Amino acid sequence: MTKRRWLVYLVARALAHRKGRTVLLLAVLAMASSLATALGIVSISMGKRVAEEVRKYGANLVIIPDSARLDVGSGGLNFGAVTEPAYLNQQEVEGALARSGLKPGRSFHLRGSLHWKDADILVEGVNFDEIRQLFPWWQIKGGWPAAGEAVVGSDMAARLGLKGGETLELAGPGQSVRVRVSGIVSSGGEEDGLFFLSLPELQKVLGLEGKLTTVRLLVTAEGESLKKRAAALQPLLPKAKVSEVRQIARTSEGLLAKVKLLMVLVTAVVLISAGSSVTGTMSTTVLERGKEIGLMKAMGGGRWEVLLIFSAEAIMLGLFGGGAGYLLGSAVAQFITRAVFATSADFIPWFACVSLGVSLFLALLGSVGPLISVFRLDPVRSLRGE
Amino acid sequence: MSTTIIETGGLTRNYGDICALKPLDLKVPEGEWLSVMGHSGSGKSTLLNLLGGLDRPSNGSLRVGGEDMQGLTEDGLARFRREFVGIIFQQHHLIPYLTAVENVMMAQYFHSVPDEAEARLALERVGLGHRLKNRPSELSGGEQQRVCIARAIINSPKLLLGDEPTGNLDHKSTLMVMELLKELRAEERFTIVMVTHNPEVAAWGDRTIYLDDGILVREERTRS
Repeated sequence: MTKRRWLVYLVARALAHRKGRTVLLLAVLAMASSLATALGIVSISMGKRVAEEVRKYGANLVIIPDSARLDVGSGGLNFGAVTEPAYLNQQEVEGALARSGLKPGRSFHLRGSLHWKDADILVEGVNFDEIRQLFPWWQIKGGWPAAGEAVVGSDMAARLGLKGGETLELAGPGQSVRVRVSGIVSSGGEEDGLFFLSLPELQKVLGLEGKLTTVRLLVTAEGESLKKRAAALQPLLPKAKVSEVRQIARTSEGLLAKVKLLMVLVTAVVLISAGSSVTGTMSTTVLERGKEIGLMKAMGGGRWEVLLIFSAEAIMLGLFGGGAGYLLGSAVAQFITRAVFATSADFIPWFACVSLGVSLFLALLGSVGPLISVFRLDPVRSLRGE
Repeated sequence: MSTTIIETGGLTRNYGDICALKPLDLKVPEGEWLSVMGHSGSGKSTLLNLLGGLDRPSNGSLRVGGEDMQGLTEDGLARFRREFVGIIFQQHHLIPYLTAVENVMMAQYFHSVPDEAEARLALERVGLGHRLKNRPSELSGGEQQRVCIARAIINSPKLLLGDEPTGNLDHKSTLMVMELLKELRAEERFTIVMVTHNPEVAAWGDRTIYLDDGILVREERTRS
């Protein structure tokens, strides 16, 4: 039998001999590494899931025109400044988005006022396909509009007495458009007070072809923060202002960071507790096995050789604890993600290395003190049972 | 003329203020069976530990098998123990989770490589061929001591040290162990230094020295 095989056999027999303590140590290591694994997997899955959830809230970046500003006054007189309506150039925005490398969800908006009966009503031109993707929470009573159709916000419909199926003629500065109301939209937001036409139709009626008032973008919230993405896009649109939709972005990122911090703290506390437990148990084992260590040294075992035997025990415990911890942790991660996010956690094979690493680290760290005792133990005194 | 395997000059061992072994001059020729007698605390075990490289002298010289024991490092002492010495303990000190044959293989592990066939032969030589797979808890005191002897001789040591090897055995087992040591010594030609407080056991040796309070007070030749 080779020395290596004998070492493995010896360690296995020693661990099997102390079943209770071995099971206890394995349980501690498996629990600690499984927690690190579970929280790690949950954290990664949660990051992705939160990003997906954020998508449901719609746009997280918005592009608006940088308002034209005109100082009014003459000579020493200054009457202040006036701003005139400014628009984004649709072509420039499309070009900038293409150059940015971002592949965001997007919706182009043009807002204006049209005349109907004796009232001016606030109309927004949009591409309804973009809206359906970017604002999935819109509830339409009736149907999404086809060509020549429009939807009206629920508040406006109530105010103007509009119903689905009704046809209106809306007048612009130069021309008018005749549309049929296909449905009533309710979103719980400002959309409820607007009338929605298709973007090209509104641009035509208002005589603002190729112009936009707002572009809403949805970029993935992972990794680089929204602020950085907005900053990266800004130089490509010098006549516009790119900004984050702060409340959603910050809330989701902040919440995620806090939850991750909590997970790290919980893991740290558990690892410290587990390390202490391993130290205590290993110390007791070394104390109990003092005579055995003394005997090994009396038989000619060098300090390093005897140390190797006891280190190998810690390593074997660490490996088995880590393996069990990975399986247990993956199962716990599945349970948590199913319970919290109603979805399954990602299968992350490389987390087996994390679990093994945590378990080995704990097993060896917890054994440092006891192993130093093994190294220093005087064979004569230990054989006497001192 | 036989060579000297053990030679001490003014060998002393102090533990703090306590002098466990006072300056001792001793020569042991190769192949001799030396019995060491004395009361508890007389320095017998201290001497044995020094001879076996388990302890270091406080003063004086100690040469065993030509090695200057004071010049050896910790690792050097470990090498000396595994290559030169076999030790038989009163308490047997067998590893409880290993079988008889595995306990013998343990000594081989530190010396060279574990060889089950050789370990089995060693146990057969001490009359335990039928107890190879039994654990220490399944063996009698005499059987455990024979496993201990097999473990001590497996690496063919030049020096066999016995620390009250029959101290825990009944009369019958004691005789069996002593007969066994006598046979093995005849075959292997190793030197034996055996500590005992039993005059009958000491009488198996060629020479007996008597220690009292760390001082060699008397020596007598028990066999021609």
